[in-house]
Amino acid sequence: MAVSIHDHALLGVFDALIFQKTAKGFEHLGDLPSWFPPPGLSRETELSPEQILDRSFFLQHFLHEAQAWWESGKTGPWKSGLWNEPALFGEDVVLEATAVRHGSFRYLILQRFGPDMVPIQPLLQKAREEQLSHRQAVNHHERTEAQLGSRLAKSEQERDDVMAVLDGLGLGTIMIDANRVVTFISGKAHDLLQTDPARIIGRTLIDGLPWKEDDSARVEEMGRLPGAQRQVVRVVMDGKKRSATALEVEVQDDPRDPRKTILLLKDVTEMEELRRLLVGPTQFQNLIGKSPAMRAVYERIRDIAVVDVPVLIDGETGTGKELVARALHQLSPRHDHLFLPVNCAGLTDSLLGSQLFGHKRGAFTGAISDHEGFFESAEGGTLLLDEIGDMPLAIQTTLLRVLQEGEIIRLGESRPRKVNVRVLAATNQHLQELVDKGAFRADLLYRIRVARLRLPPLRERREDIPLLSTAFFEQSRVALGKMGVLDIAPETMQSFLRYSWPGNVRELKGALEYALIHCRGGSVLPSDLPPELSDGPPAVQSSPFSKPNERQLILDALAQTKGKRAQAAKILGMSRSTFYRRLTELEIVQEDSDR
Amino acid sequence: MIQKKICLLGAFAVGKTSLVKRLVSGIFSDKYLTTVGVKIDQKKLSIRGQDLMMVIWDLYGDDDFQKVRASYLQGSSGYILVIDGTRKETVDVAGKLHELAQKTIGPVPFVLLLNKHDLVDEWVVECPMVSDLRDQACLVSMVSAKTGEGVEAAFTALSEAMLRS
Ligand SMILES: Nc1nc2c(ncn2[C@@H]2O[C@H](COP(=O)(O)OP(=O)(O)O)[C@@H](O)[C@H]2O)c(=O)[nH]1
Ligand SMILES: [Mg+2]
Repeated sequence: MAVSIHDHALLGVFDALIFQKTAKGFEHLGDLPSWFPPPGLSRETELSPEQILDRSFFLQHFLHEAQAWWESGKTGPWKSGLWNEPALFGEDVVLEATAVRHGSFRYLILQRFGPDMVPIQPLLQKAREEQLSHRQAVNHHERTEAQLGSRLAKSEQERDDVMAVLDGLGLGTIMIDANRVVTFISGKAHDLLQTDPARIIGRTLIDGLPWKEDDSARVEEMGRLPGAQRQVVRVVMDGKKRSATALEVEVQDDPRDPRKTILLLKDVTEMEELRRLLVGPTQFQNLIGKSPAMRAVYERIRDIAVVDVPVLIDGETGTGKELVARALHQLSPRHDHLFLPVNCAGLTDSLLGSQLFGHKRGAFTGAISDHEGFFESAEGGTLLLDEIGDMPLAIQTTLLRVLQEGEIIRLGESRPRKVNVRVLAATNQHLQELVDKGAFRADLLYRIRVARLRLPPLRERREDIPLLSTAFFEQSRVALGKMGVLDIAPETMQSFLRYSWPGNVRELKGALEYALIHCRGGSVLPSDLPPELSDGPPAVQSSPFSKPNERQLILDALAQTKGKRAQAAKILGMSRSTFYRRLTELEIVQEDSDR
Repeated sequence: MIQKKICLLGAFAVGKTSLVKRLVSGIFSDKYLTTVGVKIDQKKLSIRGQDLMMVIWDLYGDDDFQKVRASYLQGSSGYILVIDGTRKETVDVAGKLHELAQKTIGPVPFVLLLNKHDLVDEWVVECPMVSDLRDQACLVSMVSAKTGEGVEAAFTALSEAMLRS
C-alpha cells in the first residue's frame, strides 16, 4: 500500500516546498520548509509560497516544461536543474524544482541547496579552476615563446637591417671575440677580402685575414689602444684576380662587450683613384712627381711612346732619363721586347762600336769569338744610347747609317744585317753646342731628335721633393733594414727644400740612403745628411718655391691683408720694394690700389 | 513594462556572471566562483524613452561537465555570446552555442562580446577567428567586466535590436 503523499508529517522530512496541481492552480501542501521564506523574501513577508510560483521567471519557464512532462504520460521525476534568482530569493539561494506524478496527482517539489549542499559545485569548481590555470600556464608559455621568437626575429631583422645598411655604405664588418678570433664576417667584408669566410671564421686576425702580417699586426695593435687614440689603418691588398684594393680598417669595441672588437672595412680604392685624379698622378711608370713640370713630361711620354721614332731625352744628370726611356719603351708597342740601355761615355771607338754593332772573331785584338751587338740583341725592342754627347764621331757616323738604312754591319764583316730597333738617346749636354764645336754630327742630331723630351732638374720642381723624399725614404728603410726610423724630421725636409740638388733626383736618393745609414733615432735629422746638405749656407738664396708658388703666396698674402701691400710684404718677410717689384714681374694686378 | 528574456552564452569563466554583475550591481570580483546552475537577474533599461525589463539568464558554461540545456534558451528574445579574449578555445564554444541558439530559438538578435579587454596584452583571440560570428551579430564589442568598458552599451545595443525585431 503506497504511502499517501498527503501525510504532511512525512512531507516535512523533505524540507521542501511541495505543491499539488489542482484545477485552480498550484496548492501548497504541508508545512513550510525551514528555509522558507528565503533571505531574499524577507522584505516581502506577504509573499505566499504560491505567489513565488508566479514571481519566479525560472519557475514560470519550468512549469511549461513540467506541464508537457505531465501530459506526456511519462513517469519518474522531471528536474529543473539548479537555479538561483537573487532578486527573489537572495544571493546564495540555489533551488531545484522537480515535477512528479503519482497516479493522477501532479506535484511540484521545490528544494533548496545551500552553497555547500550543491554536491557538484566543488567538483566543478576544482575542475574548471584547474583547466583555467593550465590554460593560463599554456598561454603564458606560448606568449613567452612568441615574445622570445619575435624578439629573436626582431633582433635578427635588426641585424639584417644593420648589415644591409653597412653593406649599402660599402662597409664590411668583421667581429672578433675576446681571444682575437674572428667570429663573424659580413657579406661585404668577404667581398672586399675576396676570400672564403670559412677560411677566416674561427681563426685569428693574423692567421685568417689575407693581409700582410704587418697590416694585421697594426690592426691588432689599434685594438689594444683606448678608443680615442685609435686611428684608421690603411691596408693595401694585392689582388690576385683583380687590381690592388685599398682598404681603410676602423677598429671599434663591440658596444655590448668591450672585450670583443668590430672591424669596419671600407673600400677606398676608388677614393684613392679619385684622389689621384684630383691631385694628378704622383707617379708615372717609375717616375715620381706631381709637379706641373712632371705632369707635362708624363703627357709627352704618353704622346711620343706610341710613335715609332727616335727620341732625344735631354736632362741634367740624375734627373731620371733612363726611367723616361723605360717608360717610353713600356708604353710603346715594343714593350714585349727588350729594352737595352747602353752608356756611350768613356768607351773607345772599337769597344763601343763592337758593343753596339757586334764584331767578327779577330776583328780586333781581344775579339776572340763572333759577337752579337746590342742592336741585334735588342731586335724588336728599344735601345737607349745614354750620354750620346760623348759618343765618338766615328761611331756617330755608323749610327747615322744604321738609323738611315735600318741595318748594321758587325765589325770585321761586310754583310749588312737588318735590324728593327727603336733608338732613344739621352744626354745631359747641350748637343747644339757640341755641333757648333764640331764634336757632334749635326745630321745625327737632327736624326735622333725627331722627338724631343726635356726632363726638368729637381730645383725646377721643388714641390716634388717631399713626395720623392718619402718615396725614397720608404724604399731605402726597407732595403737597408732601418725599419726603426719612422720619418723624416721637418727640419730635414726643410733643408731638402732649400738645397739646389745639382745631382738631382739621384742625389736626393743617395742623400736619403746616406742619412738612413747614419740615422740613429726615429727620425732622419739634418745632422744625418751628407755634409754638402747638413752644413754650409743654403745653396740657393731664392725662395724655396718655384715661381707659380711665389705668385700664389703673394696672392694669398694679399687676400689675407685684404689687399694691403705693405702688410702682405711684411707677412712674406720681403722688403716693400722687392714686393712691389715681384708684383710687376709676376704681373699681379690688383683691382683696387693700396688702401 | 515590456519584459524581454535574454541569455548569456559562452564557455565557463569567460565572464558571463561578471558581466551581468557589472551591469546589475556595478561591481566586479576577481574571485572565480563557477556558476553551477542558471542564474537569473533583472535589469531595467531605458531605451529611447521606453522602459524595458531585461530578464537575464546567465547560463552555466558549456563544457565536458555541463551541457547547456537547450530548453533554457526558449523564450529568449536575444542572447549574448561571450568569448574570453585570453582563451582561444572559447571562440569554438561560442560558435557551438550560437548554433544551438539558432536551432532552438531561431534567428533572434545577439551580440558578440570579447571580454577581458583589460587584459588585451594577453589576448590570443584575433578578429579573423570570429569573422563568421561577427557577420551575423548585431554588435561585436570588446568589453571588460572588470573595468566596465562597453558593458552597458552592449546590453543596450541588444535591447534596441530586440525592440526593433
Ligand atoms: N581581468 C578580467 N577578468 C574577468 C573579466 N570578466 C571576468 N573575469 C574573471 O574571470 C573569471 C570568470 O568570470 P565569471 O564571470 O565567473 O565567468 P563565467 O563562468 O563566464 O560566468 C573570474 O575570475 C572573473 O573575475 C574581465 O573583464 N577582466
Ligand atoms: Mg558564470
